[in-house]
Parts: sequence; C-alpha cells; structure tokens
Amino acid sequence: MNTEFDSNDLQGNILRGYRRDLVRYLILEVDNPAAARRFLAAAVAGNNDAVPAITREKSWTRKPGFCFNIGLTYEGLRALGTPSDCLATFPTEFVQGMTHRAIKLGDFGTSAPANWAPPFNHPERVHVVASVYANDTPQLDQVQDQVARAFNVLGVRNGYNLEDDKVYFGYVDNISQPRFNRIDDPDQAKVDEPIDPLGTILLGYPTRFEDVLFRVPSPAELGHNGTFNAFRILAQDVAGFERYLDTAADALLRHPDVDQLLAPGEEDRIGAGLDRHGALREIVAAQMCGRWRNGVSYEASPDAAVVPDPRAPKFRTNFDYDRTSRCPAGSHMRRVNPRGGPIVQRIANYTRRLVRRGMSYGPRDVDPRKPENDDQEWGLLGNFIGANLGAQFEAVMCDWLNLGLQDPNITGSNDPLFGANSPESSWFDLTLRNGGTIRLRGFPRFVTTRGGAYLFLPSLPAIRYLSELNG
Amino acid sequence: MTNDGGWFDRFVDSLPERGWFKFLSTYVVVPYWVWRDPKPKLPGGPRASAQPSENVQRMMNLIMPLKDSSPIGRAKAALAIAQNVDEIFAGLDNVGTVHTARFLLLDDYICMISVYDGDFSNYIRDFIATIGSVFDEVVSLVEGGDDLIPTTHNVERFIDWVHAHDLFQAPDFPTDLFGLQDTASGRSPDSPPHELRSLPRELILQLNANPNISLGGGYRAYPGFSAAQVRGKFGVGW
Repeated sequence: MNTEFDSNDLQGNILRGYRRDLVRYLILEVDNPAAARRFLAAAVAGNNDAVPAITREKSWTRKPGFCFNIGLTYEGLRALGTPSDCLATFPTEFVQGMTHRAIKLGDFGTSAPANWAPPFNHPERVHVVASVYANDTPQLDQVQDQVARAFNVLGVRNGYNLEDDKVYFGYVDNISQPRFNRIDDPDQAKVDEPIDPLGTILLGYPTRFEDVLFRVPSPAELGHNGTFNAFRILAQDVAGFERYLDTAADALLRHPDVDQLLAPGEEDRIGAGLDRHGALREIVAAQMCGRWRNGVSYEASPDAAVVPDPRAPKFRTNFDYDRTSRCPAGSHMRRVNPRGGPIVQRIANYTRRLVRRGMSYGPRDVDPRKPENDDQEWGLLGNFIGANLGAQFEAVMCDWLNLGLQDPNITGSNDPLFGANSPESSWFDLTLRNGGTIRLRGFPRFVTTRGGAYLFLPSLPAIRYLSELNG
Repeated sequence: MTNDGGWFDRFVDSLPERGWFKFLSTYVVVPYWVWRDPKPKLPGGPRASAQPSENVQRMMNLIMPLKDSSPIGRAKAALAIAQNVDEIFAGLDNVGTVHTARFLLLDDYICMISVYDGDFSNYIRDFIATIGSVFDEVVSLVEGGDDLIPTTHNVERFIDWVHAHDLFQAPDFPTDLFGLQDTASGRSPDSPPHELRSLPRELILQLNANPNISLGGGYRAYPGFSAAQVRGKFGVGW
C-alpha cells in the first residue's frame, strides 16, 4: 500500500473548509466531452486565465480570490470516457447513485427523488457538481461564465454563511469534525476527540477498522487520494420547527414531571429573560439536537445554556457519552456521532465519521419563522465526505439517524431533527434529572431532501488522468 | 372474474394434471416462454423498507457452492466452522445486531442462515471487521471465493458477492412479484397493471432465473424488536 502523502495532490475542500461568505454549486452536464476534458486539463494546470484553477490542499500565504473544486457522478465519469473496466472498480452505491439508495437514506414521501427539484429529478444528466467559494457575487459569476463555456449548466445553487456559523434552525453548527493524522488544522488545536486515520477521508490509507482497507478504484492514478461526497440539498421547515417547540412547551407545562426537566426559578440559566414556556422550548430544542442553540453541548452542560465561555472546548468538543448521559441517546448529535458512548454495534464506535461542510440557502431578507412565508424554502447545501459512502454516510443514515439501532431505548424512532418522521408515528424521549423520561410525540418531518448526488472527488493527478481520456 | 367458467376453461384448468401436457410444458412450452420472456435474476435478501419494523429481524439465506462437495471436501468445511466457533460467537457478540446464525451443509452447498437487524451492508462489513479471518477460511472452500481473500481488503466486493448469493425472498404478497420483475427489467412497476391470471406463469419464469428462493420473508414470533431490545428485556446486557 502506498501511504506516501503529498497534500498538494488533493483538492482543497476535503480536509479543510474555506471559510468564505458565499458558495455557488454549478450542476453540470458533459455535452461535449472533448471540451470538458480540455477544461479539466487547464483547471488542473492552472495556467489559463480563461479557466478557473482547481484549488489544492496547501497552505496559502495570500488567500486566492475564489476557490474552485469539482466532484463527478458515475454518469459523469462515464461521459468523460472512463473505460468500463475502471468504472467497474467503483463501489456499488456510487455506481447506482443517490436516487437508487433513496429508501435507505430516508428519501421517501415528500423527500422521494421523484419530487426533487430540477435538475436532480433527472439524475442521469447530472455529471459534475462544481463548487465555487468566494466573498462576492461577481467572482462567482465570472467563474460560472468560464465553466459554462465547457459544460452545459443544468442548475445553480447559491449558499452563504449565516452569522456566527448558525444554521436556519438557529443552532451554531460546524463544531465537531474529524481530525486527521499529519494534518495541522488550527481550528482543531484544543479538541481532544480521537485522531482519525487518513483512510476515513482519503482512498488508499488505513481505516479506523483494524486491517480493513477500502478499495481504491483503478487505475491508482484515478483512485488514490480521492474520496466520496454525498451532496445533499436539505430544506429546513423553520416555521414548523418553531411551531412544534411551542406545542411541546405547552404540553410540558402541564406535565407532572416538568420540574425534573426545569427546576422552578432556573429559567435564567437557559436564556436571559426567558419565561418558563420559552425556557422549555429551548430545552426541547437542545435535547433534540444534543446542543443548545448557542453551540454548548447538552452533555457538557445539561442544566444551563448560559455558561461563562460557550466557546471553550470543554463545552463544544471535549466530552464523551456514557450510560448515565443526560444527553438523550435519540438526539441528533448522539445519533450521527455516538463518540465513545455505549452502542449496540460495539465494533462501530468512531468508524462512521464524516466530514461535514455546509452552507445555508434561501431568501435572506425574509423571516423564515413567519408562517406567511411558508411558500419559500430555506435549508442547507450539505457535503458529507468520506472514503466509503456505504460504510460512513449510508451506515449513519439507515441504522443510526433513522431506525436508531444503536441503542435499544431508541430503536424504532428516527432522528427528531433530520429523520424521516411523520406526526402519526414520531417519538422522542426527553431525559430528566432523576433519570426518568418524558416522551414527546407528533412531530413532523422538519428536513426534506430536495436534491443530491453521490460524487467522487478526484485528486489532482486523477483530474489530469480524466483530462487525458478520449472517446 | 368468475371461477365457474365453461367447458373450455375447465379443460384448460385440468391441463397441468394431464401427462401429455406435463411433457409438453416441460420440454416445449416453458423453454419457449423462457426464451421469449427471459426474467432477470432477482436480487437476494430482504428489500429496503421505510417501515422501522421491517428493518429489524431480517433474514439472510446465504447459499455458497462448495469447491469440493465430496465427503472429504465437506469434512474440511465442517472443520473450518468447528475450529472457529469461539471467534464466531465473539464476532456475533461484538456486531451486536444478530439474533441467530447457523451453518448448514446441504447438497453441494455450504449455507449460512442468520437473522440480523438493520442494514445488510453494515452487518456484513462489521462482521468482516470483527472476524475477517474466519470468513477467509469459509470462502476459500467456495467456488469464486479465492478472489475475495483477504476479505478485509475486499470489503465492497465481498458485500456484493454475499448479496448475490443471498436467496431471493419471494414477496409475502404474491402479486408484489410483478413490481419486482418490472423494476429488475428497468420498467416502472405495475404500469400498465398486470393481469392476475398471468401470476403463475410469471412465477414459473422467475423460478427459472432464481431456482432456489426463500418462500416469503420468514415468520417472526415477536416482530419489530431488535436483538439488543430482546437482550435488554432479558437483563443480559446489550
């Protein structure tokens, strides 16, 4: 196995986020393979002013004006002329594509691929998803114009960072990420979560599973240092979520055990100036997510969102779950990353880690919490990156996020925030100080899938390889 | 549709019992229909479902052709399992999602029959990560298994291979067969709808592509509960 690692060979959006204000995803079809290959050759060489250069993983002394990266679907690899014996070495879930895995991913009902927004309702035409990160719109427009000369632009999705790294549900996000051997990331300096082997995120390296290697697609030039990305457009029902918090708080106020959830007089510890109803809303929101909306982990501070330094590592990343945890096993954070906590699949702790990169989308000048704006859509443009879609993204989605197989106390229920819920069958257990629980029911699906694709993120040598194909 | 048709219907219904027709159907009619309307082999294992209760206690019927089905070859297979019983038990414990598992020697096959919770790929992958060396020994006895060794370096291929050798599970609602056949042939399921009376013919054609099948998804005495839930209730830890 070749474990030589030259970070200059990687696309720059894999190991680190760019921290730009804006992103634009260009959803592309290869209608002229020769033109597309010429574009890729120039993009990887970075010596042509009319073609955006692929951003590499390396420390830069001066920030470039924009960052540009690409991911390809199976159809895209084929459209560029990848030989069929090479295509056959890609994993089945990638070959089939995201739409064929819909039920596993919870994409049914309103989230079913048949209901996805164009162009994702025609997955066979989605060949390349290019991302452009910049701080101003003219930069994005310029890159888009250049790309449109070589590809057919099927659709465009614009995203942006909300203030304080928040998402539309109001939580501070982008806190816990895997961290890797040999990668120096200042954002992760004081994090004490275990180091992940490079094979979690790159093809061709040892994985968290002892002795297990994921298959590197052939030829090695194409597969090595590549990875996979589940690109998802996830609409968030912000008004519906806030409405449900009201309903839940109303019911809790009448519940005999409510003082075990919030001791009388402690409302100020949840948020300055909150009344009892308002504080209970925030407790429900925090237990459902596993974090208070200010980013403080529920496990680290179960009785108070108001802490002296909410950005301190002990409140954000440096904690673990155990059998006495106050953070509900059914919370979003514990489902997708159970850390070292007790899980049924004892072998699986830390094996399903994902790198998440997301930005929000939707109209910025309209309040998503107002019911009169229900016809508008807000959400997240998400990238869930890992060396093996089946072992990481899908494994989390089908057995942990939905179904809840990791803990018998939540089996049969779905993630309260991201799960495929319906009011008739949904349930979630709030934890109490005395070890008891209060079961919430009747919440709808808050996150709906509007589109997506399984993408291969090739290394720079692989993009060069693709640019030299013919046919 | 009425069941008491005229003399011609009664005659047609009696055909399967008539010796000359059995001969004709075995050697002419069925081979002709197989040629005219070939069915793709339907994939094995339980099908994806949105229902949580359908995602626990799923059945695997893994039928693997022995390289050497002589008594000596069979004894080698028996030995391979017997020598690894401790590892297999430890593996099942650590995977955590298995209700029961057993091995059978049956004609020219070694069979692994198990009941597990959740996703098939996760189950197999976790198993390889736990006791890959035992799988290596088992697949070394099986036709086509050599390419998969070591299984820890061929996880994706091994999962696909196991899936291909897992028996097709005939649907519990017989008419669901139409939709499965349509999907496998790349058509949209049940549009146009199929005539109910064509079901026996479709089943015969399918049994030509999938000679060994599981009749239905299996019987469950306590549906909807995971292995960990059962263990938890018994107080034996999970």
